[in-house]
Amino acid sequence: MRIVLATPLYPPEIAEPGPYIKELAKRLVKLHGVTIVAYARLPEKVPGVRIVAVDKRQPLLRRLISFFFALLHAAREADIIYAMNGASVELPVALLSLFMSRPLIVRIGDMAAHERARSGWLRSIERSAFTRARRVITDGPAPRPEILPFETFPAEQLGTHERSWEEHLRMLEDLFTHARS
Amino acid sequence: MHAHNTQQEWEDYRQRELRAAIPVLEKLGFGLEDEQPHTGGERFLMAGARDVGGGGYKLVLLGTRRADGKRVVIKTSSDKEGIREICTERKARETLQTLKFAYRMLRAPEEILYATHGAHIIFITAYIEQEQSFLSRPIAEQFSLALQAFKAQESVHATAYSHARAIRTVFGIRGVQEYLDSFDAFCAAAARNDSQDRALAQSLAKARAFIAEHRDTIEQYCGFLTHADFVPHNLRVHEGNVYLLDSASLHFGNKYESWARFANFMLLYNRPLERALLQYVHDNRTPEEELSLRLMRIYKLGKLLEYHTGALSKTAGNLNTLSKKRVEFWREVLESLLDNRPLSDDVISRYQRERDSLRSIEEKKRQEALH
Repeated sequence: MRIVLATPLYPPEIAEPGPYIKELAKRLVKLHGVTIVAYARLPEKVPGVRIVAVDKRQPLLRRLISFFFALLHAAREADIIYAMNGASVELPVALLSLFMSRPLIVRIGDMAAHERARSGWLRSIERSAFTRARRVITDGPAPRPEILPFETFPAEQLGTHERSWEEHLRMLEDLFTHARS
Repeated sequence: MHAHNTQQEWEDYRQRELRAAIPVLEKLGFGLEDEQPHTGGERFLMAGARDVGGGGYKLVLLGTRRADGKRVVIKTSSDKEGIREICTERKARETLQTLKFAYRMLRAPEEILYATHGAHIIFITAYIEQEQSFLSRPIAEQFSLALQAFKAQESVHATAYSHARAIRTVFGIRGVQEYLDSFDAFCAAAARNDSQDRALAQSLAKARAFIAEHRDTIEQYCGFLTHADFVPHNLRVHEGNVYLLDSASLHFGNKYESWARFANFMLLYNRPLERALLQYVHDNRTPEEELSLRLMRIYKLGKLLEYHTGALSKTAGNLNTLSKKRVEFWREVLESLLDNRPLSDDVISRYQRERDSLRSIEEKKRQEALH
């Protein structure tokens, strides 16, 4: 499968869904072709993954247009678009669906952005993306525990983290396959 | 002669500034404590030596508010650059509270007074009492407190157009080019300060080439709030909360600049903590981030070497010998980082012995009060 991951945040940004997308790409690339379209300038690389970075330091309108065209270009060869919530991604994704019928899955990974979209134009943007999506999900893996030098090695939590990723990937694979059919 | 001049200049400034400031402070309801650890010892070498936030002559004094006996920290200056530094610090404190893109709040001591009186600027903040000094806490606690402060800084990441607009006028913004330019200035100054030291010139040239080779890695982690002088004397801990002092040193740059300054400091003062920090980055961050920390440690050593070579012409006697030892020691540290090998503990303990035998009593007292 050729998968496009669209995200408003990506490492070196530390806020979610940045780290989630990077980890997801690392795992998906073992079985699929993965392209990330992200607002970033010098994104952290993932071997085998194509990353299209849209510089956030541009004025708002210019970066939205840049993101839209980057997404349009990447989506041409994609089987599925998996987008993270947030107006800066929702708007280009919603617009794209007017030109192209690629299956879209949206994940609400940034709860703060979702809260901000409770009213006004942010709500309209979020709704327009959500209504065009085959599914809107909130699921995610357990956060990775930190390994701290003066504390016991978190073997159990790391195991839980790993299992939650396996489960999350199974769910996504299933979702992507059904969305295509 | 030059050595005497620098120290004498500082002494004259200190006396003049105190004579003018004391009556003003009295009028405002503040008195000074008898012991003033931040104005003595080697403090004269530091005037104008900052790489971030300005730098000029200013006094940092400990005092009390007459009305309630509250301990305070008073910063005052009539020097143009000193005034600029104090203004920058205040603006930085104010702006930090308003940044919408900060995920966590950084704690700073409460502001008590900010005023100008004639040619003087006076900035008074609460003195943060701490149950014990940073370095006397258990190592696990030191690690956890430092990490808490690093994470708070990292949560302020200016990436968008609007972010840069909000901070440009208040904080400095440094990208890789600014770091390289500064490093070039360190190299040039070190060469001027000690033109005979070929080994130092070679080490600095090697360091410069290494930084330039990995310029993208430095740039990748720029745009984060970072503190150029993140060391224990700029941290106060009260009831488990870390307060960050010297807001003039806050700027937007590589997020590992604070880590680097701290790790370099801990190499000398608490080696196990330095190792723990490096292990943490290795276990929890990406390889690019680990390299970024190493690069910033090298960068910060450039500044340190510039500073210590600068002291060679301003000092005499034991302090001059100590300055030479410092240059030798930090050059060895630089070489070990360039080779990516740990520095031998013997090198560190030898230097510590020499330093302790050469330091003045006044400086030893100042160091005790600082850490």
